Amino acid sequence: MFVILIFFTVLAQCFNGKEVEVVEEEEVFTEELLLRPLPDRKVLTHFHFEHKAPFHHQHYRLFPKAIHQLVQKFRIREMELSFTQGRWNYERWGGFDPVSSRNVKPPGVELWAVFDVPPNQVDETWKNLTHTLSGLFCASINFLESTTAYSAPVWGFQKISGGLRYGALPREAVCTENITPWLKLLPCRDKAGLASILERPSIYNGFYHSQRLRLISRGFESQEGVKPEIVLQQTLTAVLQSDSQRTMTTNYGKKLQTSWSIRSIFGRKPNDICVLAKSSTIFLELDRGLVYELNKLGVELDTTSADNAAFELTVIPTRVIKEEKSSLNEGSPVVYEFSMDKFSPGKLQDIGLTWKHPIVWACLQAPYHTNRFLMGSGNERGSIAISLRSTHSGMGSRIDNVVDGSKVEVVVFQVVPWYVKVYYHTLQVFIDGQPKMVADVVEKLHVSPSEDKVSTGAMEMILKFPSDANLVVLTMEFDKGFLHIDEYPPDANQGFDIPSAVISFPNSQASITYLKENFTSSPMLQKFKEKSVLLSYTEVLLVPLATPDFSMPYNVITITCTVFALYFGSLLNALRRRVGEEERIFESKGKFIYVGDSTKIRLVPLLLQKLFPKLRTHQQQPQSSSPSSLLRSKLIFKVILVAGLAIGWHFYFG
Amino acid sequence: MRAQMAWNFSELKVRKKKLLLLLLVFFALSASNNFSISNASTMHTNNWAVLVCTSRFWFNYRHMANTLSLYRTVKRLGIPDERIILMLADDMACNSRNKYPAEVFNNENHRLNLYGDNVEVDYRGYEVTVENFLRVLTGRHENAVPRSKRLLSDEGSHILLYMTGHGGDEFLKFQDSEELQSHDLADAVKQMKEKLRFKELLIMVDTCQAATLFNQLHSPGVLAIGSSMKGENSYSHHLDSDVGVSVVDRFTFYTLAFFERLNTYSNASLSSLFNSYHPSALMSTAYYRTDLYQRPLDTVPVTNFFGSVMETIHTESAYRGFSSKVTSNVKIKMPVDQEVSQDERRTLTNIAQEHMKDPKTKEEYGVLSSIWSILHKRIDRTGDFDTLVVTLVNYGLVIILPLVAISTWLS
Repeated sequence: MFVILIFFTVLAQCFNGKEVEVVEEEEVFTEELLLRPLPDRKVLTHFHFEHKAPFHHQHYRLFPKAIHQLVQKFRIREMELSFTQGRWNYERWGGFDPVSSRNVKPPGVELWAVFDVPPNQVDETWKNLTHTLSGLFCASINFLESTTAYSAPVWGFQKISGGLRYGALPREAVCTENITPWLKLLPCRDKAGLASILERPSIYNGFYHSQRLRLISRGFESQEGVKPEIVLQQTLTAVLQSDSQRTMTTNYGKKLQTSWSIRSIFGRKPNDICVLAKSSTIFLELDRGLVYELNKLGVELDTTSADNAAFELTVIPTRVIKEEKSSLNEGSPVVYEFSMDKFSPGKLQDIGLTWKHPIVWACLQAPYHTNRFLMGSGNERGSIAISLRSTHSGMGSRIDNVVDGSKVEVVVFQVVPWYVKVYYHTLQVFIDGQPKMVADVVEKLHVSPSEDKVSTGAMEMILKFPSDANLVVLTMEFDKGFLHIDEYPPDANQGFDIPSAVISFPNSQASITYLKENFTSSPMLQKFKEKSVLLSYTEVLLVPLATPDFSMPYNVITITCTVFALYFGSLLNALRRRVGEEERIFESKGKFIYVGDSTKIRLVPLLLQKLFPKLRTHQQQPQSSSPSSLLRSKLIFKVILVAGLAIGWHFYFG
Repeated sequence: MRAQMAWNFSELKVRKKKLLLLLLVFFALSASNNFSISNASTMHTNNWAVLVCTSRFWFNYRHMANTLSLYRTVKRLGIPDERIILMLADDMACNSRNKYPAEVFNNENHRLNLYGDNVEVDYRGYEVTVENFLRVLTGRHENAVPRSKRLLSDEGSHILLYMTGHGGDEFLKFQDSEELQSHDLADAVKQMKEKLRFKELLIMVDTCQAATLFNQLHSPGVLAIGSSMKGENSYSHHLDSDVGVSVVDRFTFYTLAFFERLNTYSNASLSSLFNSYHPSALMSTAYYRTDLYQRPLDTVPVTNFFGSVMETIHTESAYRGFSSKVTSNVKIKMPVDQEVSQDERRTLTNIAQEHMKDPKTKEEYGVLSSIWSILHKRIDRTGDFDTLVVTLVNYGLVIILPLVAISTWLS
């Protein structure tokens, strides 16, 4: 007995201990905002909300239940969903920093996911996931369910083995209804904290915005040293302009830079701190190019003073963070940190920047600018061209991109819908205008050709070419397919979109490692530190396809029906009609023959025929009451009287 | 042996079939029984709204504004977002032609942003098709379709179905490429009725020749309002020169004007809504089809369809399920002063109704028609064929006599 008791107490203690442990590994929510002035008088704003929660939990305090259910139901290992409006201007806004490499997305909706399910169930899971997401985020993501809309890249998109599906909807509209459910995943929604400054009209009035949801779950397979947890990153990247600038049209050329503040960009300032967030921080980043120029002017940036020779900050920063070591020789980015927790609630300052000195600078570029365009004319065939133009701006940043001597490695991933039938054998490569052997340049190629009305065509390839090449052009020819009349969208004359191609530079890493050791509390800066492949997206292509005259089926139906009616009508007439019989009938009723319009004549006898029996039956009926028979005789008398009167009147006066 | 077994088997099969048939009959009987019972006794438990804008392209801005206005109204009057299926055929709010991104207005004063901060669109863009629309109504979805995109109504639901777009004689265009015909709509409604998906359904259509869309309906419990009769157009109300297009249709504009005065406690009846449409303001004749609807319209509050006002049932003991007996004793609690104002308003609307009715009756009923109606009444009363003949002959005599007299006097 005692033994059992002791056993139970030990067990209870064990459980207690476990509980304590569970409580220890808490859910964490952090919110951060990065502001960065851009060279063309605009401001880059980048929100980063991050949830971290233990994987095996029954009940969550902060982590959105909808996302947890999603992960559990579809066994998602990784997922990324983005809604984007506008196109990132790689030339002006840069393409070599963590924000532009990781958070810039193609227009419309892009979704990719990795599942932890057996390979034969992946497609089914993907289909269900798209439907669920379409319900969650009020978008037509469910159009990605059909095999003609998504593809399964092997190595061209992400270096993940198996279970990856990728799909994009370039024409999907992005609006308030998409951001609202996205904000509802935050513990404070848009009522408090940094998200409260997200005024919809100001975001959608911007030049570019991309709202992203990234999900990483570790815990389906128990690995050593990996903590089972779910990480949900929600980022919103927008390029906006300050309010004063929008209204100010005159005096534009004189001022190189405009001053801005959070209120002038968003129309609001954060009104309250989200108490559920572990930390909420605003960062103001000056990028490499700008710091380089400021250093040239001799501006001191290291101090936490709000005022220096070039600009003035409205709020004194909490601290200044610098890059650990500059691998690039053109200055390292400086980040001013404003910790929202330090401010007294209700007295949150409007963080802003006022320029004192005009400054011109350029953002750091990716090694190659990528463009994609269509060639050819007519509705029959054409060709797709992808061009890589070197951005060698004299900075030595391209060094790490070079492998074995003087070769650059570039990975191209492109998905093409089935009605654009690409002939992969027509692939041609031009370097600086000179045609090259494909085998010399293309290191690795994986093509999954499209199948009509069944699957998309995907192409993944690794290119290796000399690093001194200025312009590399790939061309492929295609035929335009014909769709069934039901498959055309309602606005078919607008043309069809080919989703963006993904160009990645595997040897270039867009990462910034910051100096201070204690910034580990900031998941966003942590994220920037992670080494990841430099990515850039090309334009969406608009292919005009031959569209039929959509009223044609109706014309066909009408004409066919008419022909059929004529044919069968005359046939039946010929078969059914008995001329001899008809003549005999006419002869027997000779009096009717002389009138052409026989129906009128026949109507009267017909009526009489019907009326007489009625009158007769009325008379023949056993009369139950005498008044009614009286009534009848009266009636007949009256009728005769009226008739007599009428005849008399007619004869007398007529 | 084998043959015998086979025979046995076939016999078994036949028996099984018979049994199945019997069972089926039994079930059918019980189901029909249930159906009649449930129809009579189910109370109104929830409200749903299906709001559909079927037009694509920027110049049809007003159709989206119409739908969003209704969306805002029903939300304001208490239908939650998860019970509203909103279908918008195009994106106007973030359209590149929209000067006011993420904003939609239904009035040129721009006082009210219909898109707001909290709009949930369930079907949008290319998803708004006749197929999806009929799927929503009949509830025949694929398994993967999420709950937020389904109409999960039951036999106690009051559903508001609002549609706007371009229509014609017995059809409504979807996305400028397909049509919903009156037969399709009637069929879907019939299916809904069979599946016990609604208790009462109000169909409100703002298109040209809207009345023709209801021609084929014959399911009980359906009430229909159309913005125009056959051969009539429904016109837009006004143009916003900032947005550059017309922003609202007349019928919807006056519907909203009616609803803006109301709140969730308002008792305004459906008949007062129906009578608020003035043909001269609408530039078309609003049409109501009430022959399928059982309750008298002046006793049905508009919030039965456009809002979600639930009756509170006070029970002393534990839950016993819903029954009509309980509800009949229960009244909606309402502040006293509110009630008074409601009464006042009602009398006002009544006066207005009478006011509006008068000219109509004068127009319609002339001298001849009055005679005709007298005849009708008499026939109705007696209902006999020969009395009809008698009366006809009598009238003929009476008419002939003065004619003869006049003609003789003239000659």
